[in-house]
Amino acid sequence: MDAVYSIIPAGVLSQVFVGLSRTTILFIVASGLTLILGVLRIPNVAHGSLYMIGAFTAFTVTKLFGGGSAGFWMALIIAPLVVALIGLIAERGMFQFLYEREHLMLLLLTFAFSLIFGDLVKLVWGGEYKSVPVPHIFQGFVPLFGDLPFPLYNLFLLIAGPVVAILLWLLTNKTKMGKIARAAAVDREMVGAVGINVSRVFAIVFVIGCFLAGLGGVLVAPTVSVTLGMDHNLIIEAFLIVIIGGLGNIWGALLGALIFGLTQSLGILIWPQFGIIFPYLAVVVVLLFRPTGLLKSTW
Amino acid sequence: MLEVTSISKTFDGFKAVNNANLAVGKGEIVAVIGPNGAGKTTLFNLITGILKPDSGRVLFKNEDITGLSPHEVCRKRISRSFQIVNVFQRLTVFENVQISVLSREEKTWNLFTPSASLAIKETDEILESVGLLKKKNRTTALLSHGDRKVLEIAMALGGNPEFLILDEPTAGMAAEETSRCIDLIKKLSQIMGLTILFCEHDMEIVFGIANRIMVMVRGGTVIQGSCEEVRCNEAVQDAYLGGSDVCLM
Amino acid sequence: MSRKTLLGLGAGIIVLLLFPLFLPRFYVYLVSLILLYGLLATSLNLVLGYGGIFQFHHAVFYGVGAYGTTLMLTKTGLPAMLAFIAGPLASAAFGLVLGIICIRLTKLYFGMLQISLGSLVWAIVYRWYSFTGGDDGIHGIPIPEMLSSPKSAYYFTLIITLVCLFVMWKIIQSPFGSALQGIRDNPVRSEMIGINVRMHQLLALVLAGFFAGVAGSLFVVVDNTVFPDMLFWTFSLEILIMCLLGGWFTFLGPMLGAAVIVALRTFVSTYTDYWALVLGIIMMLVIFFLPNGILGYVEEKFKRGFIEPEIEEQ
Repeated sequence: MDAVYSIIPAGVLSQVFVGLSRTTILFIVASGLTLILGVLRIPNVAHGSLYMIGAFTAFTVTKLFGGGSAGFWMALIIAPLVVALIGLIAERGMFQFLYEREHLMLLLLTFAFSLIFGDLVKLVWGGEYKSVPVPHIFQGFVPLFGDLPFPLYNLFLLIAGPVVAILLWLLTNKTKMGKIARAAAVDREMVGAVGINVSRVFAIVFVIGCFLAGLGGVLVAPTVSVTLGMDHNLIIEAFLIVIIGGLGNIWGALLGALIFGLTQSLGILIWPQFGIIFPYLAVVVVLLFRPTGLLKSTW
Repeated sequence: MLEVTSISKTFDGFKAVNNANLAVGKGEIVAVIGPNGAGKTTLFNLITGILKPDSGRVLFKNEDITGLSPHEVCRKRISRSFQIVNVFQRLTVFENVQISVLSREEKTWNLFTPSASLAIKETDEILESVGLLKKKNRTTALLSHGDRKVLEIAMALGGNPEFLILDEPTAGMAAEETSRCIDLIKKLSQIMGLTILFCEHDMEIVFGIANRIMVMVRGGTVIQGSCEEVRCNEAVQDAYLGGSDVCLM
Repeated sequence: MSRKTLLGLGAGIIVLLLFPLFLPRFYVYLVSLILLYGLLATSLNLVLGYGGIFQFHHAVFYGVGAYGTTLMLTKTGLPAMLAFIAGPLASAAFGLVLGIICIRLTKLYFGMLQISLGSLVWAIVYRWYSFTGGDDGIHGIPIPEMLSSPKSAYYFTLIITLVCLFVMWKIIQSPFGSALQGIRDNPVRSEMIGINVRMHQLLALVLAGFFAGVAGSLFVVVDNTVFPDMLFWTFSLEILIMCLLGGWFTFLGPMLGAAVIVALRTFVSTYTDYWALVLGIIMMLVIFFLPNGILGYVEEKFKRGFIEPEIEEQ
């Protein structure tokens, strides 16, 4: 290990990996977004709001269960389900009537939802910061890089990311539902013509996408202060990740999130003031050479 | 006038056009026929620049126009109509043709003169020649299908072409509309001296007005020749009738 | 244009000219905002409604224009009039650059690349504290004396907006405008009748960028501030909403949409903090029931009364 540290200082490695753990959250949210975009062709601007609702719900659930670790684990299960339910209602109630309309209309409808959700959060939870404690077993640090303490929770996130990725891959490639969804993404009419209830497939995919957004929100909650406005920044990052990864491509979302997270960490290390423009720059560069994204898109 | 040699185009492994050949002389009316999926529309797309060929050449009046973009091809005075109606839905009949005329006159960079006052005479003339003058102010969305196909032709005429490509001009038309369309094509050739290349499924029409016929099967040219030659050609019979021993029609 | 429409417009302009004499400063400020947002929305509609281009991040041009003018006013000693031209020129140039980069892509990918580039610009503006004021923005921008009072700012805005609207109207009526609408309806067809689609779209983008930049400069005059949120994607969507609400296939629709949104926002905000909620609900209603916007709906109802009579003789 010391050999590595002579090339890359432990501090840098540590920072990079903290950044990567943040990438997990980006990936989970982006994977939900890319599913919805790839299969249903909906650019879901409300995805950030769903993420925010997940985070706030986690706060409430944690408090309900005494504010300790048990609360967090319960929140991990309940909050994404709540968000998924909201998604289900929105899809059945409104979206399913608009699939024939142009993308622009769908985009604006999701924007309307994001406005409404944003204010609903304000209504229910008020405007102040909320915080969610890190669950007990993840509190503390691990000397991962030399002597430098690496937060256990971030380690958890680093592992959770690939786990979710594999689960999603299994879901979309190995289950019947997944295969139907992938077929519907490419040619929904054909799938309908073969007698499959496309509408139901869409609903399921949409719900899973929303679940992922909520999951991302829960996972991020212990690491940041949960506030209004967290939706706005995240959604643009999630969209950019989806775009460079390839629409509808889950591995693309992972790749995109990696690129985004890495360039951000490295950027801030190299040039603290303008570090945040590095990911955007990376996105622009990718799109200039591969306008349809790095990996295959379903469009 | 138009010479297409050994042109090919492959899509993702599927050879849509396979070494096709075509020759059209000045003033002729030539038809391209073939079973569905033979590649006729793709061939037209290759000639007019909407698609770039993988190999082969397109010569127009001895000038190599292979791979030019569509608007450049149009400037060479080749115009075309589309199989699926391709008009400007939100605009009126007059405006549809007028844009074509304005484009030919290279006025589309003009930012300040109201277009309503430009090219009225030329546009009206074209509308008159196709019989749509009375409907000039109707929005195209409200036109009958047959009228829209005629509008397609009118728009192609706006470019004052020497060479006209018509992709299934009578597809979907009712009987009366069809015969009007055929009269129009004859008029365009005989009175206005246009060279016409078209494709059709209706064999009566084809044998009725074409001087020569090119038969396409599975992307390749089977034969190019006069109506008689094509009618009795064995390969053509194979393709259409599955090898029966009777001359077509 | 029919006589009735001209008369209506004339009356409207007279009202706009006279009302500052009767109503308090606040309303003058409000109408100034409506005018410039209307100009901004109309500039978007130039490429969106009339050109069919998916301009998802129009706010960037607005912001570049505003910041351009501001930086000229605060960082250089050059005369103010130059600054007011510099802003729109900067945004037009930016439109050209963006156009050249993005125009080879079709619809959705165009929109997405534009969003990325726009976000990059936002990020730079947001962080470059020393030059652009960062997330604080710049306040108290020095505006020339004769334009600094709310009334004079208003009349300046009114005149410039009317001139710009007139120019845009002329452009839409011109052969270029016809070609653009043709491209909107059917780009393949347009190519086939000899129109170089890419070049025409590029010019449209530059023009839209220019007028958006004018709107940005006007904001500087009216509000004396600039801030990074002017470039943020949420604002781009708001401009889209204004176009949609008013009617994006009509010329005055976006202006109407801007008026409705600004008026509603002001009105609603006095009663509640939840303006976003209200706007979201309004948007949903519009999407489901008025997809062509208010003016679009009015036009349809009006036209449905009769079928176009056939022209019997020339």
